[in-house]
Amino acid sequence: MIRIENLHKSFGSLEVIKGIDLHVRPGEVVCIIGPSGSGKSTVLRCINRLEQPTSGRIVVDGKDITDPKTNMNLVRAEATMVFQQFNLFPHMTVLHNVTLGPVKVRGLSKAEAEKRGMELLAKVGLAEKAHNYPDQLSGGQKQRVAIARALALQPKVILFDEPTSALDPELVGEVLEVMKQLAREGMTMVVVTHEMGFAKEVADRVIFIDGGRIQEEGPPEEFFSNPKNPRLRDFLGKVIAH
Amino acid sequence: MAFQFEPGVVVETFPMLLRGLKLTVVITIGGLFFGFILGSVAGLMKISRSLFLRKLAGIYIETIRGTPMLVQAMFLYYGVPMASGVRIPPIVAGIIVIAVNSGAYIAEIVRGAIQSIDPGQMEAGRSIGLTRSQTMRYIIWPQAFRRMIPPLGNQFIISLKDTSLLMVIGVGELLRTGQEIVAVNFRAFEVYMAVGIVYLVMTLGIAKALRALEQHLRVLPEK
Repeated sequence: MIRIENLHKSFGSLEVIKGIDLHVRPGEVVCIIGPSGSGKSTVLRCINRLEQPTSGRIVVDGKDITDPKTNMNLVRAEATMVFQQFNLFPHMTVLHNVTLGPVKVRGLSKAEAEKRGMELLAKVGLAEKAHNYPDQLSGGQKQRVAIARALALQPKVILFDEPTSALDPELVGEVLEVMKQLAREGMTMVVVTHEMGFAKEVADRVIFIDGGRIQEEGPPEEFFSNPKNPRLRDFLGKVIAH
Repeated sequence: MAFQFEPGVVVETFPMLLRGLKLTVVITIGGLFFGFILGSVAGLMKISRSLFLRKLAGIYIETIRGTPMLVQAMFLYYGVPMASGVRIPPIVAGIIVIAVNSGAYIAEIVRGAIQSIDPGQMEAGRSIGLTRSQTMRYIIWPQAFRRMIPPLGNQFIISLKDTSLLMVIGVGELLRTGQEIVAVNFRAFEVYMAVGIVYLVMTLGIAKALRALEQHLRVLPEK
């Protein structure tokens, strides 16, 4: 579904990603963890080219996105993103947030898009908020709308960029619940997260990035119970202590 | 002979100003209509990815902001026909001057409002597969437009008042009409007071209308 080969990314003279290879299979849930500034969000943002990779190759759903001829708009709809800060459109109702992409990008009729939008809002438990504006929602509700907005595009993969980091602790659970449900339904997901519990429970594979490189990867049981890389041991020690 | 204020003359003056008032309104509305289009285009050019477009918009904005409108009007009306051989009717020249002049200021208003929108909005738009221009149209512009309203109101008021300068190119607008009345009745105090009152009523009207529009749009909340 996603194949990353030897990805490098520099901001000016600062090299953030120093050669990353990653292969995500259809239906797989991959969690990326690592200290802040390690480059994990940048990897995600290169996958839908919100950041331009400096070098390397990224193939998403069979399309080489590093090829300038690729229509990135369609790729972005196939590999859509859920943001830390939600980034809902504040001037549109919740339902309109969810239907905009399907209508403008997928060419659905408004009626069709609204019907499906309502189903998706029901799925994330927010059908009764369809005609509210984002400002009238809590952080957890906003993020669930953002997930519904992503699902409405019927993407092949959803990229989650620290989806619970901006939430009050008591609101994290409701968002993770929705994400777990998606994982069970077979959605391909790449999740940059600090939620070790979620990674342990849901991920098929966990990846630890530090210093712009993948330091360790593996299935969660092994990854968390028997970390080999000393940096990962150090990182897990700090995170789990809390 | 002592000066004696005659309120009756002020009142009598109002209907005589009507012809000039019409022209002032026509030029203001026409000028601001084209000025808003021009300003929006120049404002978008100012934040475009093309260096050429950015420079072009920059030159336009700096030139217009850096020269008096009176000079711009006289240059267009008296100067340009000498070079082009085509005379422009005063009203048309007036509308062009107001449009080109207000456009330069509106460009900066548009640019500032668009740049004040959280970059996450553009990223979110792109992430659901919208193109850059679709994101601008459906997501950035509607939010930016609300933030433009108060500074646009200011600019509308300034442009309305600036139409009075067009009397130098022979546009029979409000102030010019007043001047013609004074030439007949010599009641400069009363006539120019009446002229001032008419401008004041219009500028207060613009301010009120834009406040109402702002309120109306605010019913839909913004973060």
